[in-house]
Order: sequence, then structure tokens, then C-alpha cells
Amino acid sequence: MSWIKEGELSLLEKISANILKAGPMPKHVAFIMDGNRRFARKKNMERQEGHMQGFNKLAETLRWCKHLNIPEVTVYAFSIENFKRTEDEVDGLMELARQKFERLLEEHENLEKHGVCIRVLGDLNMLPLDLQQLIAKAVFTTRNHNKCFVNVCFAYTSRYEITNAVREMAWGVEQGLIKGSDVSEALLSECLYSNNSPNPDLLIRTSGEVRLSDFLLWQTSHSCLVFQSVLWPEYSFWNLCEAILQYQLNHKSIQKARDLHREHQALQQLEADRACVAELLQHHSNGKPVDSQRRQEALLHYTSCREERVRDFLEALKHKRDSFFSDLCSESLLA
Amino acid sequence: MAVGISYVSVYDNHGVFQKNNSRLLEEIKRQQQDLLGVDGSMHSVEFLSSGSDQHQHNVVSCRPTVRVLSPDDGKQSIVHVAQQLCRSVENKERSFKDINVSMLDLLLRESKNIPDPELVVKFGPVNSTLGFLPWHIRLTEFISLPSHRNISYEDLLGALQRYGACQQRLGQ
Repeated sequence: MSWIKEGELSLLEKISANILKAGPMPKHVAFIMDGNRRFARKKNMERQEGHMQGFNKLAETLRWCKHLNIPEVTVYAFSIENFKRTEDEVDGLMELARQKFERLLEEHENLEKHGVCIRVLGDLNMLPLDLQQLIAKAVFTTRNHNKCFVNVCFAYTSRYEITNAVREMAWGVEQGLIKGSDVSEALLSECLYSNNSPNPDLLIRTSGEVRLSDFLLWQTSHSCLVFQSVLWPEYSFWNLCEAILQYQLNHKSIQKARDLHREHQALQQLEADRACVAELLQHHSNGKPVDSQRRQEALLHYTSCREERVRDFLEALKHKRDSFFSDLCSESLLA
Repeated sequence: MAVGISYVSVYDNHGVFQKNNSRLLEEIKRQQQDLLGVDGSMHSVEFLSSGSDQHQHNVVSCRPTVRVLSPDDGKQSIVHVAQQLCRSVENKERSFKDINVSMLDLLLRESKNIPDPELVVKFGPVNSTLGFLPWHIRLTEFISLPSHRNISYEDLLGALQRYGACQQRLGQ
């Protein structure tokens, strides 16, 4: 079945959508699509069928988001923890992924028409090589589409993602691109797999579980969290509206908290830069006191140098990541 | 503490608890005195805030611990560990390739020694973690209660019962 479901909303759905759209709307929604297996048990289906229904629900949800003008969606498709499942189930999920990514490639014209950019976030080298190659092709072919963004977390956990970001910064240091003192909250964010996306405004988890299961822990620190008891394959347009309503009710308070955090971050960066400058001036002036104008000039100069270093490093990181995908693509052509 | 929970932390996203932690400690001591009288001193609480000395102790210790946390214990702590690791790479003490999840976890534990919370009881209408310990909450269950004002024992017990009903499959 297809990734893209065509079709308009019903009249009632349209009216509700318009009412919601009168208020603040999330621009990025993240889903923990939980409950496929419980759904299968409930309907006396095979587990695999439950997962298939789950995928169909994803396609439907993307259609609703399009009609609600929500341009970006991130989903938790496969956790690194899920490798612990039985070999049968894991193989089944890998096979499902293969089918779906192959289907995606077949639909590439449709994806272009709708401007869908697919990104896959995770430790992809944990996956079978042929799946990595399929994923790389999907990501590569849709990389310039910019009307809507679908981020699929596959072989992903947040702790692995954060660790990877730290490793990348350490790589940058080893390469001489950045200094240890350049490491900051903002820089770490830029090194996450999700660095091309704004943080999710809304995180929805279905099936009644009330935990985050190692999903986007960094990025959702100031997101609206909505836990819904419906099983994922039974998710409805109304469930989505309910979640968006929660987002709207929380919007002002969360915005305030976000702003507060941002101010605090900026202050911390300023303090860090000041400390570095003080140390440098100490060295160069041999202990003689430095006037405040000189200090201020040194601070401005230091900050702009740091920002340039960081820009170059992030450029190098982007290149490294793009090469990972394009190399996989060319490998599969040769194979 | 009466139900056997040995480690409790309190958090608010403005850091008010952190700034007024001595008042919190006084209040806890006062209420223990009121409720337990002479016996109160037998159940002394270990009170930790981010400034105080962190010594290694197991979560299952005899003395209940109250910990005051603020947003700096969250992302900023992770950033500090990252800086530490990057500086050691700068000093050629290690390679970036050595960095893995257990290393980060270990360093975080060494610096702040905060155990992963099994349960967060959230008070107030805002549906967000507001920066609370991002690294530590990967498997934490979140139970919301409307307010901490005039909260009763039954309310808290209800939350604990709901926690008891949670089933974690841990990926499986």
C-alpha cells in the first residue's frame, strides 16, 4: 500500500480543521505509533498484519496533516531496543521496511508532485546493507523536496542520537575544526540526526502508555506531550484534532517556558565566551589589567571567530552525512 | 517515604526550588516533627541540591533522599560531559571513536549521580517536561495530577497504583 493517500477531508472534518486552524497550529508533530501488536491480538490477526495496518494508518495520518497544514511529521518506526524481539518479528519488520521503501521509490513521481522529503534518522549501520541502500536511495531522491517532511526514526534511540552528536563534535575537535570550548547546547542540537528540523511542537503517543521510550528526549524538552489510549491502527482524525486542541491549550505556557530557556541559553553562551576571552587576555597581557573597551572588542572578535569555526564544522558534518547517503546509493547501482 | 520510596526529586522549570532549597529542607524537617514527633529524628532525610557534595550511594539506601533539581541538571549537564570528552580529545587522551552511550551515561552519573526516575508525578496543567532531565527519562512513566496544592495521601496513592499497572516491554 501507498505512502500517499489522496483525497479531501469530509465536510465535517473540513469544518473542524478550519476551527482548529483559527488558533495556533503545530508545525511539527511527532508520533510514537504504539499498539500495532495489541490491535492484531484484539482483531485475531497475525502480528505482521497489525504492523501493516499501522503503516496504512501512517499514510492516512500524513494526509490529515497535509490538510491541517502541518508540514513536518516525525515517527518512531523502529527502536534499537526492538532488535531484542524474536528473530521472526525483527525479520518481518525489516521485510516490511524493505517493501515500503521499495514502494516509496516506485512512487517517486507522486512524491515529487507533493513535494515530500523523506528523512531517516537512526544508527543506520545497524541495519542490513540492502535496507540501508534502499533507505539511502529514498532519502537521496527526495532530498530537495520541500513542501512536507517525513522523518522516520529507524534503528533509533535518543541516547544513541545524543551520543552520536557528542561523537561528531569530538570528531570536529580531532579534525581541528572546533575547540572543546565551542561545545554548547546549541551546537549539540545542530549535531543531532534531526538537525534539519525544528523541534516538535507536539508529541503524541498512542495505546495508553505514558512514557517516552527513548524517543526525541532532547528535542521534546519543551514540546506539548499528549498521551492517548487509542491503539495506533485505530487512530482517527478526531484523535488528531483532540491532540492539537491540547497543544492549543498549552501553547502560551509552553511558549513562555521555551522563551525563558532560550534567554538562559543565550546568557550561558555569553558567560562562556566571556570566560574564554578573559583567559586569552590573561595570557597576552601578562597579568596587566585590561580596559573594558579592549575587553569588549576582544569579546566581539572571539564570538565571531567561534561562530565562523562552528559554521565550517557544521558544513563539514553535512558533507560527511550527505556522502554517507550518496555513497550507499552509488554502491547499490554498482551491485 | 512512608510507602518505601527511597529517592525523591523535585523540579520546577524556573529553578525556584533550587534557589530556595534551604526553605524546602526546613519545611520537610518541620512537617516530620509535626507528624512524627520524637520519632522524627529516627527517619532523617538526606537532602541534596546540586551544590552539595555528591557521594556515591545506592538508591536502595536506608536513608531516604530528597534531591532538588533545576533545568541546569538537564541539557547543561549533558553539555558539560560533552565538553569534558571533547577536551580530552583535544588533549589527545582519547579518540572520538571511543565515545559511546555507556561512557556518556557513566560520566553523567559521576558528575551528578542522579538515578533514572521510574515515575514522574507532574503537577499543574502544562503538558510538557519543561526541560526535566532529558537523558534520564527515557523509560520514566508520567502521571499527571492537577495540582500539588491540598494534595491528599489518596491522590498520591492513586498515582502510585496507576504506576503499578504500567507494563514495560523494554522494546520487546
